[in-house]
Amino acid sequence: MFLHDLNPTVKALTIIGAVFLLAFVFDPVTPLLYIVWTVLVTFLFGTFKKRYYLYYFIPFTLFAFGMFWTTIVFSDTASATSETVSFLGMEFPTEDIWTAAALGLRVLAFASLSLLFLFTTNMVHFILSLIQQLKLPPKIAYGVLAGYRFLPMLKTEFQQIRAAHRIRGVNRPDSWKEKLLQYQRFAIPLLAGAIRKAERTAIAMESKGFTGAKARTFYRPMRVQWKDWLFPVMMFGMLGVTIAVLLYFGYFSWYDGQL
Amino acid sequence: MNSWKLKEIVVMSVLSVVFAVVYLAFLPVGKILVGFFGPIGYDLIFGIWFIVSIIAAYIIRKPGAAFLSETIAAAVEVLLGNAVGPMLLVSGMIQGLGAESAFAMTRYKRYDLFTLMLAGVMAAVFSFVWGYFLSGYAALSTGYVAAMFIARIISGAIISGVAGKALSDALAKTGVLSSFALGKEHRRKHAA
Amino acid sequence: MSQEVIRVEDLTLHYEERQKPVLSHLNFSIDEGENVLILGPSGSGKSSLTHCLNGLYPRELDGSMKGEVYVKGRRTDSYPAGEMAQNVGVVFQDPETQFCMITVEDEVAFGLENLNTPYELMVEKVDTALRSVGMEAYKTANISELSGGQKQKVALACILAMEPEVLILDEPTANLDPVARKEFIQLLKRLKKELAFTLVVIEHKLEGWLDLLERVLIIHEDGELAYDGPLHDHLKTYALDIHEMGIQLPYATRRALEQEWTPPYPLHIGEMPAVAFPENPPAKSAGKVLLKAEDVHWKSILRNIHITFHEGEWVAIVGENGSGKSSLSRILAGIQSPSKGTVSLHGRSLKKWKENEMRKEVGYVFQNPEHQFITDTVYEEVAFSLRHAGMKEAEWTKIVEETLKFCRLDGLEEQHPFLLSQGQKRRLSVATMIVEDQQMLFLDEPTFGQDEKSTSDLMSLLKEKHENGTTIVMITHDMELVDKYATRVLVMNEGELSFDDQPKELWALPDLVDHHLELPPREQWKRAVWKREEPAYVSS
Repeated sequence: MFLHDLNPTVKALTIIGAVFLLAFVFDPVTPLLYIVWTVLVTFLFGTFKKRYYLYYFIPFTLFAFGMFWTTIVFSDTASATSETVSFLGMEFPTEDIWTAAALGLRVLAFASLSLLFLFTTNMVHFILSLIQQLKLPPKIAYGVLAGYRFLPMLKTEFQQIRAAHRIRGVNRPDSWKEKLLQYQRFAIPLLAGAIRKAERTAIAMESKGFTGAKARTFYRPMRVQWKDWLFPVMMFGMLGVTIAVLLYFGYFSWYDGQL
Repeated sequence: MNSWKLKEIVVMSVLSVVFAVVYLAFLPVGKILVGFFGPIGYDLIFGIWFIVSIIAAYIIRKPGAAFLSETIAAAVEVLLGNAVGPMLLVSGMIQGLGAESAFAMTRYKRYDLFTLMLAGVMAAVFSFVWGYFLSGYAALSTGYVAAMFIARIISGAIISGVAGKALSDALAKTGVLSSFALGKEHRRKHAA
Repeated sequence: MSQEVIRVEDLTLHYEERQKPVLSHLNFSIDEGENVLILGPSGSGKSSLTHCLNGLYPRELDGSMKGEVYVKGRRTDSYPAGEMAQNVGVVFQDPETQFCMITVEDEVAFGLENLNTPYELMVEKVDTALRSVGMEAYKTANISELSGGQKQKVALACILAMEPEVLILDEPTANLDPVARKEFIQLLKRLKKELAFTLVVIEHKLEGWLDLLERVLIIHEDGELAYDGPLHDHLKTYALDIHEMGIQLPYATRRALEQEWTPPYPLHIGEMPAVAFPENPPAKSAGKVLLKAEDVHWKSILRNIHITFHEGEWVAIVGENGSGKSSLSRILAGIQSPSKGTVSLHGRSLKKWKENEMRKEVGYVFQNPEHQFITDTVYEEVAFSLRHAGMKEAEWTKIVEETLKFCRLDGLEEQHPFLLSQGQKRRLSVATMIVEDQQMLFLDEPTFGQDEKSTSDLMSLLKEKHENGTTIVMITHDMELVDKYATRVLVMNEGELSFDDQPKELWALPDLVDHHLELPPREQWKRAVWKREEPAYVSS
């Protein structure tokens, strides 16, 4: 599929660029249209379990609504105008609702963009591409990969520590101090084990001739081909078109000292 | 990067992975607090989200430790599906830069409690400026924004500075840091 | 004359944190194609020697290294970093920490990438290496989903792909179960015939390695070379010295030492005389019912479990990895609730017990003792539960002291638990679980990754506890332990209890291998003698 075969670095930079541009937009219509576009692209050009996409997307929606709500409630009173809108039985200035919706939808637009990336990118390929395209030092890149491998291990360790602590009878803190102490009790065996393992992993990597030198060959060569540029053209193009259309109809609002 | 040993990088990235999970775990706590106090809820515990940069810098004591560890933690958080997405990566870098700036001010020579608290404060300042821009705090009332700022600074100093130091010191006692700067210092103090 | 590949001249190694040298004035050389075993007590610097031989030291050393190490006639520190991997490859002990990539093929390729192998050649070499260890079917698998034995095979493939002259194995099977361990050694024997490499093995358990290795280097506790010569001859005469180093001798040799036979000692079960072998003590008649599991199910992992435990039993739970042993023991000990069915202690359902009351009856020792530690000192660790039990200070301090003494931890009171040796850590975790005089003790692979000395210390401690009336339930892969201690054995098979009887009945089963189990050595010996012919299974 198109999105899966894209060069991960090009994909990531495009998304970060789009997010950055969206951060300047203060009207709700632009992000809304862009969300629709992004979700459409994700579903058309990506293969993944659609159900999982929903699982991920729903919490974002709640978060976006939270953002919307708190912006209204704690909004800057100085910017309020005389026009008001009734919402959930309360009166709010129209301008505030407008800004709040813009902020809420912005969060959702960010989310849809990052989900596009998450659902169509292999993380190892991404890191390998960062080494090959963005010249990320291999020492850091492979160090991070080694650390990332620890995730499933940490999960089992965590569960074991919890069970082991339960046996020791420490899982019911009765004061704040005890609670803090308990966090530390959890953290120490987990971190100590992880650090020891990390050190061993580093030794094993060096024993396999890893020096962090930039010159190395790749089992998975990552290249940027002409079709990789289609994606940024699509994504930025759509953002441009959206903004142009909304400007024409007068809905667009750029960052304009909403401070 | 050449002054870094591979084991330091791997240990740093493992710390980042662990705390990325911790960061995610504290998001719901933040949400509950937001429910009570509004956006300032996050600021009360914001220090949690700087802690890895202070811990990594305190343990490894090399230029870049604070910045890199926070950046990696943010990247892992994104991979695990944090709600803010790629922007979080930038937030992580900025927080990391904030903490890093405090260590840079001491020319990477001092790693006492004061410096660690300062690192927490700087991370708070940097992250607040960025948050102001990104999340549009502009739309909130000035007094409220000021309260958020102060809460975040205190949280950065206490949670990431003081608690980060306490946790690292407790870790040093287990002996697993014996080949890292903090472990060596611990041993020297013990021997003396 | 064969060519010398490794030469060590007057090598002395100091770590920053230690006064005494780890290695002291070592001199030896290894020729091409040799098979060398390095022995020494824990902490004698065997692993440090590995780092010296593959050039990691002095580059990564916090300390000082004096003397010279030559590989193929060239000083190791004159090789450019990374190039040594083509000459000396190492497989380490811990299967969990040798990898930095997600999939098997990427990991094998990692070493080749480091050597700047061109792409086409790399693809070919990855396949060849995986084929040689029999893991080609797992090429695209995630490493984290493999078993310990498979991981070690992948680790071996990674090294073989780089085609080093010397292969060092640093306790490669210490974390494997006996069946996986046997497989790994078999694999090495085959590879040794197919490929030409020099083999250096560091090991704690000799069983199985003897027909592969011919020469032994023994390193003393003080880091000096105590012996360098033929392995078998030395072992036949000086087995006792080696035993006292904490090395686990082959069963035949151990038996000979126990029986105080005279040297030369046998090294194989086949060489053992047909004298009367000790039978296991008859199982004591079981006491009254202590713990009962009825129709227990848990997720998709456990099905339909019915077990009754009696006072005074010593029960072993065996079975393949993933067969549900740990899950079962956790449910029985009340750490996990079953999704269906009930577990009752003294006739009362575990659900109705208060957590802290139940913990006074049932203890559980986890596989990794560190997980259970919650304080900064050994003393506090043992005192913890008593402190919270509302006892008088004079009363509990006495108990703590007695428990420490019983577990041979006296004198270590102020140590941080994490700084103890492996064996001490394990005994400390046992101490925390018996301090309230628990009647029932669960142990999850108590001897896993431990050397001979700590294993026997721990087992004699458990034996004493058992004789005083404690009921013991242990998960283990070690059939010798089952044979020696257990009064009853449970076999788990794909989430079901497939056998529940005395150990001797288990050994009599014809389909033992199907359960991923093997006969204990005593039983093998017995059969070898019975048959009066070549034993079906040669132990070494």
